[in-house]
Amino acid sequence: MHQPRTASRRGFLLSTAALAVAGTLGLSARQTQAAQRPEKLIITAIPDDGDADRMRENFGALARLLGKAVGLPVEYMHVENYAASVTALATGRAHIAWLGAVTTAQARMQMGDALTVLGCRDIDKRFVSYFIANPATGLGTLSTLGELAQAAAGKGWSFTFGSKSSTSGHVMPRKFFMDQTGSTPEKVFRTVAYSGSHDVSLRMVADGTHQIGALNYASWDKADAALKARAPIIYKTPPYIDYALAARTDLGPELLAALRSALLAIDGSTPEGAQLLSYLKAGRFVGAEVGEWQQYVELLESGLDIGG
Amino acid sequence: MSALEPTCAAGLPYARRPFGHFVALLALLLALLAAFAAADWDWGALTDAERRAQAATRIAAWLVAFASPDLSPAFVRQAWELTLQTLSAALLGTALGVVLAWPLALGASRAVCVGEAQCTGKGRGFARILRHLPLRSPAALLCAVCRLVQDVLRAVPDFVWAIILVAMIGLGPLTGALALALNITGILAKVYSELWDSVDASRYAQVRSLGGGRLATFLYGIRPLAARNVLSFTLMRAECAIRNAAVIGAVGGGGLGSEIWYQVRFGAWDKVGTLILFTLLLTLVADLLSNTIRRQLRGDASRQGGSASCAVAGGVTAAACTAPPRSRMNAAPSGDAARSLAAVASASESGTRSVAVADGGARPPLSPWLAAGLVVLVLVWSLWFMGWGNRAGEDGAARNHLAPAAELLSGEAWGKLRFFERLLQPELDFAGLGLGDPAKAEARAREGKAVDLFAEHGPLEFWRPAAWWAWQQELQKWFVWRVVESAAVPLAIAVVGSVLGVAAAVLLTYPHSATFQLHAAAFSGETPAPWQRALRAVQLAAARATAVVARGVPEVMWAFLCIAFFGPGLVAGTLAIALHTLGVMTRVFGEAVDNQPLRRFEPTCGASRAATYAVVAVPRVWRDWMTYSFFQFESNVRAAVVLGLIGVGGLGFQFSFNFEWFRFERAGTYLVMIVLLTVLIDRSSRLLGLSRVGR
Repeated sequence: MHQPRTASRRGFLLSTAALAVAGTLGLSARQTQAAQRPEKLIITAIPDDGDADRMRENFGALARLLGKAVGLPVEYMHVENYAASVTALATGRAHIAWLGAVTTAQARMQMGDALTVLGCRDIDKRFVSYFIANPATGLGTLSTLGELAQAAAGKGWSFTFGSKSSTSGHVMPRKFFMDQTGSTPEKVFRTVAYSGSHDVSLRMVADGTHQIGALNYASWDKADAALKARAPIIYKTPPYIDYALAARTDLGPELLAALRSALLAIDGSTPEGAQLLSYLKAGRFVGAEVGEWQQYVELLESGLDIGG
Repeated sequence: MSALEPTCAAGLPYARRPFGHFVALLALLLALLAAFAAADWDWGALTDAERRAQAATRIAAWLVAFASPDLSPAFVRQAWELTLQTLSAALLGTALGVVLAWPLALGASRAVCVGEAQCTGKGRGFARILRHLPLRSPAALLCAVCRLVQDVLRAVPDFVWAIILVAMIGLGPLTGALALALNITGILAKVYSELWDSVDASRYAQVRSLGGGRLATFLYGIRPLAARNVLSFTLMRAECAIRNAAVIGAVGGGGLGSEIWYQVRFGAWDKVGTLILFTLLLTLVADLLSNTIRRQLRGDASRQGGSASCAVAGGVTAAACTAPPRSRMNAAPSGDAARSLAAVASASESGTRSVAVADGGARPPLSPWLAAGLVVLVLVWSLWFMGWGNRAGEDGAARNHLAPAAELLSGEAWGKLRFFERLLQPELDFAGLGLGDPAKAEARAREGKAVDLFAEHGPLEFWRPAAWWAWQQELQKWFVWRVVESAAVPLAIAVVGSVLGVAAAVLLTYPHSATFQLHAAAFSGETPAPWQRALRAVQLAAARATAVVARGVPEVMWAFLCIAFFGPGLVAGTLAIALHTLGVMTRVFGEAVDNQPLRRFEPTCGASRAATYAVVAVPRVWRDWMTYSFFQFESNVRAAVVLGLIGVGGLGFQFSFNFEWFRFERAGTYLVMIVLLTVLIDRSSRLLGLSRVGR
């Protein structure tokens, strides 16, 4: 049964050598400096619209508009969750990303000064979220979320946010809820779910999977009337700043400046620009500083109880 | 094998009455009680009349839609493309998995790497435990490391691999295939190493005695003896990979899974119906194909005479080796049965040698070349399809999707791994225990968020339930304790789901069994009227269709549907697991019953078929059933972790939540817990001798 010791030792040495080689191959890799002016720009976005094709179409249009202005091919890369878009930007897989406020703050926390903001929509500086309810709950318009907590007591209602990393679909509604009720949704509702995106939340509240939900106002506004009637608004939050078009600073100041002016130049005069702006529910893009999102970095770093 | 030796040798039923079964039953009862106590069950979806009505409406809507699937040409073409995507990802993933699993399994197999045979139960007590200590020799350490690697590969959900790979090589169909490959590597390495370990050491002793080292022993002794099983398990895994590939799409790899989830969210049931039809089509074809090949593999062995083919009928029947083989056995549907193939192990191994001898003289067989050619052809197709053939969603622009793989050779891609470095520094929250940095610990204590275990109840009050309650409350302030507690959800789901599924499978096996529905006249002495025969055939067909659908739809898809019907929660997850378990188990259970020689049932002549099933057939195969069930439980635990990600809650949910919030340290702790769960179940099953292919 026992092998000669030399054989087992030889085998062990061989195998450790193999492991060591594998380890060196894996670890010796060094992060190389990203190229100053890439051959192709990749733009990505948080998938806040559940309809991937619609996002491909409209962000593809944004990519073409920017590409035409700076003279580089720009391609839209669709990702399936919020975290993936931040990861893509932070690891250099993508150069530009359409992010929410929280994802911007997350990227800022990962990347530090390697992150800048190209601009945001005019509506982003005064964004609001809606709380919606299935009509079967019998809720009317509420003046504070405290009333919602009272009404929900003992009812066994189910609540849905959008994506976990969404600003308007999770963090801000949660913050307002906690500020106004002194409690957490987990304590008030039977289950608290994360549907993944705003219009899925809307649909789930409308068909009664969940009784209450929170989502951003733009997603509710652009839904069709029949759906809106089955998931009416019960509360509107105070305004806050939201989405930003973020970019990596290693693109270089010239390219960033060109991208900024190209973004601000987008208007309704071209059919592509008009379509994009109407999809984004925006009048135009406006300039912004990354510092405007610093409050979210502070909010996240303060250890806000986000339920996890 | 070893467990059966006394039975075979002595020819007596049992030398002493085994009480292991009672212990097992007791453990099961305790597990069920714990499952109901530990997790927060909300049966409202099933008990509350209003919500039940809602669920019924949705199920009805789904059934109606399923009866009229969206068969518009455009959508069918899209579904077909998704099917091909899924198929090519699964095939490539499996091929890569096989290549990677071999070296890993060589290391993880005790017989190959350490050179000891699987412990045969001769050593008792301490000596038996000692054999599992990794530090007794360098090779044993290597073996332990390889096992840990394969457990990590297996336990880390494939979507996590996918996210890490996305950062390394970007997004594309290849990413999904690679993620799948890593997962399959872990599973195959485990199965291979167990297969090699289960070869009886005396059968390759001559290679050793002739001076063969460990590699020679493996190449000329162990490998050929286990080759047949290795092949059939690989096929079985490929079949499972096709099922899983339907799911991996959820991270952006495309495929049927992501599309189904997408359409479920929008309530487009007609499209969901079409997509599920395609999934079923794909899994069924894979199912049938791998079955045919495996039956071929088995057929060769059983042609070698009565003893071999009889052993096919499963370990339990080995005692009856003298019974003549039934001619229809080879024709009987052989089943999915990775597991029942485990039972075949002994048969085919003993068959291999004689097959080799028999084939040696005759003309060289053509079929291995045909099979190899087919495999190469299929792989070339999947490479071509993934690389150039698949242009879905790319504006029709031709591009090579395989090119990103080249980036794996560059340092830059590996450098990207640093982004996930923090996952390897799990948050242990020592401050919560009052350890580590005194300033932080003090701050925590001042907030009242540090564990002060014996603040209210001292350790001497252990007999008071209130004390335990208070201790548990106190421990919850420690993050790691909350992590451990979150494991209760997947465990509870797996326990209850497995029990429900197995119980249902025991019932469904009766109509599912050809023995009892078609061939009952051979032993029951009755002469059924033609209408009775027709009725039974219908029953059989219905039961088989049910089982096929239940296992053809992956558990994650069942979970999507159950969540859509009953709302998110434990109940939906449990039902999903139970349904899938029902499908898989019915097939394996049915096989065990149908492989029994009909004459076994003759002594009950005059009893009803149902009575014969209950008092003869079930006890005969019970041991095999329980072994299979345990394996299913093991994989159900892992499935339940993944279900957490899609809205069932618990460990998987917490992990993905923290991962998505880039709280990698915390996510790391949850990941360690996931791996620990897999390792614990694996090691305890190895220690208890329940290993998948051991008997």
